[in-house]
Amino acid sequence: MTRSRLSRADFPGAGSTLVDGRTGRSCTWEELPAAPYAPPAAAVVDDSYAALPFVWEHARSGGELLVVARSRMEPALRTELLEAGFSMVGSERPEQPPAAARREAEPGRLWLLTSGSTGRPKRIGHTLETLTTVAGTQAPRRWLCPYSPGTYAWWQVVTLSLAQPGQDLVVVDPADLETWTAVALEHGVTAASGTPTFWRQTVMRSGAELARVPLEQISLGGEPVDQAVLDQLRERFPDARISWIYASSEVGASIVVHDGMAGFPVEWLDQDREGRPRISVVDDELVIVSPHHGAGLEGAVHTGDRVVVADGRVQITGRLDRDEINVGGAKVSAGMVRGVLQAHPSVAWARVSGRKAPLVGRVVVADVVPAGGADQGEAGLTEALTAWCQERLPDYGVPRRIRFLDAIPAKETLKSDV
Amino acid sequence: MTALSRDQLRGLMEQVLAAQGKTLPDDEGANLRQIGFRSLDFSELALRVEDEIDEELNFEAAGLRQIDTVADVLDLIEEIQAQ
Repeated sequence: MTRSRLSRADFPGAGSTLVDGRTGRSCTWEELPAAPYAPPAAAVVDDSYAALPFVWEHARSGGELLVVARSRMEPALRTELLEAGFSMVGSERPEQPPAAARREAEPGRLWLLTSGSTGRPKRIGHTLETLTTVAGTQAPRRWLCPYSPGTYAWWQVVTLSLAQPGQDLVVVDPADLETWTAVALEHGVTAASGTPTFWRQTVMRSGAELARVPLEQISLGGEPVDQAVLDQLRERFPDARISWIYASSEVGASIVVHDGMAGFPVEWLDQDREGRPRISVVDDELVIVSPHHGAGLEGAVHTGDRVVVADGRVQITGRLDRDEINVGGAKVSAGMVRGVLQAHPSVAWARVSGRKAPLVGRVVVADVVPAGGADQGEAGLTEALTAWCQERLPDYGVPRRIRFLDAIPAKETLKSDV
Repeated sequence: MTALSRDQLRGLMEQVLAAQGKTLPDDEGANLRQIGFRSLDFSELALRVEDEIDEELNFEAAGLRQIDTVADVLDLIEEIQAQ
């Protein structure tokens, strides 16, 4: 493993401005307060801005580091990290690891915690180099970073700011997302990255204000991306570049699509190109060999994500173990049904699952959040959505029960657990 | 558990069929195949009943049987509710 870069010249973004969306305070990377720590350390932070001094310290010293939001810091995780040799710094009660667990730090090592959406969070080893995946000169932009500190998506935005000149950051926290459009307007945000759930919530809550944010770059990732959310964003931002990114702690940023369409071209499968990930489909599962992989994850990584190939595009529909619903022997993708529902103009968000039922084992059911302008009432909307799905899906794929929710449920990861 | 009456069950069955653009005949002897009431529709009816009574129906306890007519469907669900 190479040691992290030490020279100012290696961090062209060191002069970029960092804005705390909560308080409005700002400074450059170089002006951040010192945050010395004894590696290996777990920096536990109350908010995203508080994590940035630790990142800058790591960039200069290469000291082994894990960044995590205090809200994710459960007692079991704290114990696990202490037993893995990490000292606790930041807003968490300072504590040294037990003597038996103390060890030499790995120079340059950064640890990320997976989202835990498929079980307990796992630690994945990276370095600043493997996390810095944006190559080529970028136009100067001011990025909104809404992610929980220490997650892969958070690091993607943060390393972009470090590695490229003119990539300012406005950091907000998942708890403050209802007000991010006002913050973005106040601080001149021109680029924003979020999950499809994040964008849907924003369109639903503050669509008019969102349209006033002068966005030139919109990025989506972290969840399956459907055509409806891309179209809604394109309608509001006809001139912006809209990108969706398939990325994870394990394989890094592996698929980036800029054509405004859900999924990616089938021609991208099984291509061997120097320095680029190799993407394959094996038994409906996305399999990736990535140069941006985490430590120890060389070779083909079975992502656990299910894909469907249709009309020349490869669509990522959801987790393999949850996406497929068996209805009396006929198999239907929950993600595909969700995509059909979310394409209806009266639907802001949908979750699709299988529900135990006699004769056929499971039937397709859905939770739906109506869009702001939907005024048919629940019975009328149920009828309209059923008819909509009947025109677009096989019988067994049409949701037989539709439950209406008032708001889009979202977790700190900005995902909605669909 | 508050069991649904036979009329209420008929009402739910009507709703299931209406969503498919079909109607429920008055005659309970009507053949399910002829009126287009299929396995998926039966499943949906069961879910509608469960949602109304807020309890899961135990079809296993009712045993296997031939279900050919509207009356067979209503009889079966009435019987399961009574368990």
